[in-house]
This record gives sequence, C-alpha cells and structure tokens, in this order.
Amino acid sequence: MLDLINIEMYKIFKKWRTYIGFIALGILVPLIHIAMVLEGQNTINFMTRNIQESFVFVGKLLNTYLISYIILTSLAVHIPFLITLVAGDLLAGEATSGTYRLLLTRPISRTKLIIVKFIAGFIYTNLLVLWLAFLSLVVGYFIFGTGELLIIDGQMIIIFESGDVLWRFMLAYGFATLGMTAVASLAFLFSSLVENSIGPIISTMAIIIVFVILSAIQVDFFQNIKTYFFTTHIMSWRLFFENPLDVKEILKSAANLILHIVVFFGLTLFIFRKKDILT
Amino acid sequence: MMMIFLIILFINLNAQSNDPNEIVESVITNFNQVRDYEADIEIKVDVEFLKVPDSKAKLYFKQPDKVKLKSEGFALLPKDGIDFSPSSIIKGNYTAIFERRENLNGNQTSVVKIVPINENTNIILSTIWVDDKHKVIRKIESTTKTQGTFTIELFYDSEFKYPLPKQMIFSFNLDKMNLPQTFTNTTPKSSKKRFKDGPVIGKVLVNYTNYQVNRTLSDKIFENDNE
Repeated sequence: MLDLINIEMYKIFKKWRTYIGFIALGILVPLIHIAMVLEGQNTINFMTRNIQESFVFVGKLLNTYLISYIILTSLAVHIPFLITLVAGDLLAGEATSGTYRLLLTRPISRTKLIIVKFIAGFIYTNLLVLWLAFLSLVVGYFIFGTGELLIIDGQMIIIFESGDVLWRFMLAYGFATLGMTAVASLAFLFSSLVENSIGPIISTMAIIIVFVILSAIQVDFFQNIKTYFFTTHIMSWRLFFENPLDVKEILKSAANLILHIVVFFGLTLFIFRKKDILT
Repeated sequence: MMMIFLIILFINLNAQSNDPNEIVESVITNFNQVRDYEADIEIKVDVEFLKVPDSKAKLYFKQPDKVKLKSEGFALLPKDGIDFSPSSIIKGNYTAIFERRENLNGNQTSVVKIVPINENTNIILSTIWVDDKHKVIRKIESTTKTQGTFTIELFYDSEFKYPLPKQMIFSFNLDKMNLPQTFTNTTPKSSKKRFKDGPVIGKVLVNYTNYQVNRTLSDKIFENDNE
C-alpha cells in the first residue's frame, strides 16, 4: 500500500501543475508580508478606528498572527482552485494519458487504486496547507514577531493574548485541511466521470463559486440553506478564534465536511468500480 | 455673650464651604502636591462588544497633563478615564454650581456641577462628588456630546499620603460600534450574533499599586514610541 502511495506521489510531483499551488503561495504570501511591512499600521488603524475614539490602547497588534489570520481569510476561498488542479487530474489524468487500462491490468483492485489515489490527493492537500502555514506563520514570525491577535467577530472585537493564539492556528490549519479535503474529494469525484482534467477543475470551481455567491445573498431562503453547503463549513476554521470556543458548532461543521468527503469518496468508488474503461 | 461667640466661631470653623469654586480649587490644590507618579495597574474590561483579556500595564503621569500607558502586552483604557487628575477633569473655563451634601459610601461629600463654558469641549455637564475631609474626588458623572455618559468612581486607601486612588471603576454607555466588515469573522453562526438595540453599557475596573510619586519623571517617557 505504502509503495502504491509513493508511486502516486511520484506521479503527482512529476507534473509541473502540482507546483503551481506552491509557487502561487510562495509569491502571494511574501507579497502580503511586504504590503503589511509598508502599510500594516494603516490596516491596524482601520480595524481599530472605532475603538480609538473611546479608548487608549497599547500593544503589538501588527504581528505574524494577525497577518496569518488575514492571509487565511483571504485564501481559504482561493486555495480550492489550487487543490482542484491536482485532485481533478488524479483519475482523469490517467484517462488523458491513456494509462488507465495499463494500470488496471496490474494486480491491484479498483478499490485499492481509488483509495491510494485519494490518499495521495489528501497528502498533496495537507502539504499545500502546511506550506501556507509555514509561509504565513513561520516566515511572518521572523518579519513581524508575535503579539496579541485582534479579531473582528460580527459586532464584537476579540483580542487574544499572545500565548493563547498558536494552538488556535494549529487547529484552524487542521480544520482548513479538512475543508480542502472536501474540495479535493469533489474534484476527485468529477475526475472519475470524465477523461480530461479540465472538466473536473472547472466543475468543482463552478460549484464552489455558485455556493459562495448564494451564501453571500442576504435573503432568508439562502441564509437558511447555506448551512448545508460545504463551502460554508470550509470557513469554519474561524470558529477556533472565538472565545469561548463553540465546540458544538465546530463538531457540527467538521461532521458536515466529513460527511461530504465520505459521500464524494463513496460515489467515486461506486462509479469507478462500475466504469467501463475504454481508453 | 462670650460663650455664644465661641460657639458661632466653632461652628464656622467646622462648617464646610458651599462655595463651589472654593471646593473645586481645594481639590486641585490638594492634587497639585503630586508632581508626577508612576503606578502598576491591572485592567479588567467588561464590555459587551469588546472581549479583551485582563491586562497589566504601567501608567505614568506628569503635571500638568502628561499621561502615558505602557505595557509589554495589550492594554486598553477608556480615554476619559486614563487621567483622573482634577485639573484634567475640570479644565478650561467652567461654571461651578454647588448642588448638595451627600454621604457617599460613608464619606461626606459635596456635590458640585461643572458646566464647561468652552464650546469646543466634548463634555456638556459634569457632576463631581468631592470628599470634604480629604479634598479628593470620589465620583464623577459626565455627559458628553458624542460618546454618551460615563461615570468614574475612585476608591482610596483608608490612610493615604497622596490623593491617588487604589481603584477606579469607569462605567459608560456607548453606541454600538460600526466595525469594518472587511475583516469580519464570518462563520455559519455569525448571523446569530446580534446585540440588542440601544447603547451598550460597559465597565472598566482599574487597580493601582506600587505608586511612585514625585520621582521627577523624564519627559522622554511621554514621547510617542509607536507602542
């Protein structure tokens, strides 16, 4: 099994498209860091302008935690695109290159193949989120240092002590990985249906964009059904930045995402086992 | 006849002045024996829309109106409560009106209303409770033009050398803040978080310890250091 996963990882990292996500983040995050070095204090002033009318405060609010939070907020919607580039190609790529039949003549069951490819996609997803965490938190630490984290939560301002933040980020990145795995599962499902990876990438992104747009429309109907969209729960990593922690809500969101992953994976497995391989 | 004269003299000597300007001046004169001070402070913030951890900081003051808050971590104080010196509370031209005598938490106080004459000041009306015996302000109630009303209660040690409080309770009501939505934390349950309409009541409790008074603080302490 481990050998098969290694082979799949080798295949993933043999394709240049795999590096697009890493390169994109490698450019984008340092750019945000540069912008925050130059304009970060203005951002802090903008966030706190209403508090400043009534309060005097001191503290190091421009720090790696705030910047990592802003980056995660900005990118959590956009990272799915980078995920689908690889996840959408996991099965369709084999069809495109005509290696399906060759692959399935090996003494490996279709179920095992799907499991191995899914695990490889999951590892890629983890690596991408880990890369994001490294660039945001670790590189940011050497530029900005640590400090208190200022969060605007609806109508509330929350300030977390410096020592109370890192574990929240660890869990938030973990939860972000769960959300991204749901996206990868959807792309993986579409990948099993077609023979070209463009279709799964576009279809997955179309679904995400439609769900995000519907969730943003302030009409009761959409606001009520948005809790069923997995895109809503992708953003639930933010629940780790509430005080007190709403464990029930976190578990609900995690359960929703896991359910989506299981359903998407189950459907992929079902479809692939029945699939008539013609290429 | 002599006896009556002595009784009247005794009464006059012990009687408290009802002259509001004299009361206010006595407080300012008493506070002016403090040229500067630094103190360790502990701040507890209890505001519905502001979740801030309890913090420790250092507060520096130098006459007439220099104040500096310094902390290794995050610390927050209400603007109107950071400087409790009488000359800061009662600044500019004003009209003082003696209201009444009142026993406040076991202390005999004179209640004086202060109406600022200067139109530029944000405060419309202040009421101060002045301790008749120790010549210190025990309580302030102010109504502002833009930020609602606030109350400052000052508590002192039973025996104090300088008119500096050991505790301050700052209560206020503010209109809800319009926070920038760009950085708003939107989660599946965000829509449920709504506060009731109307002004928000808040309280900030500050404990002062380790006063170091009249140590001739350097002006450099009060310079901006982008903290």
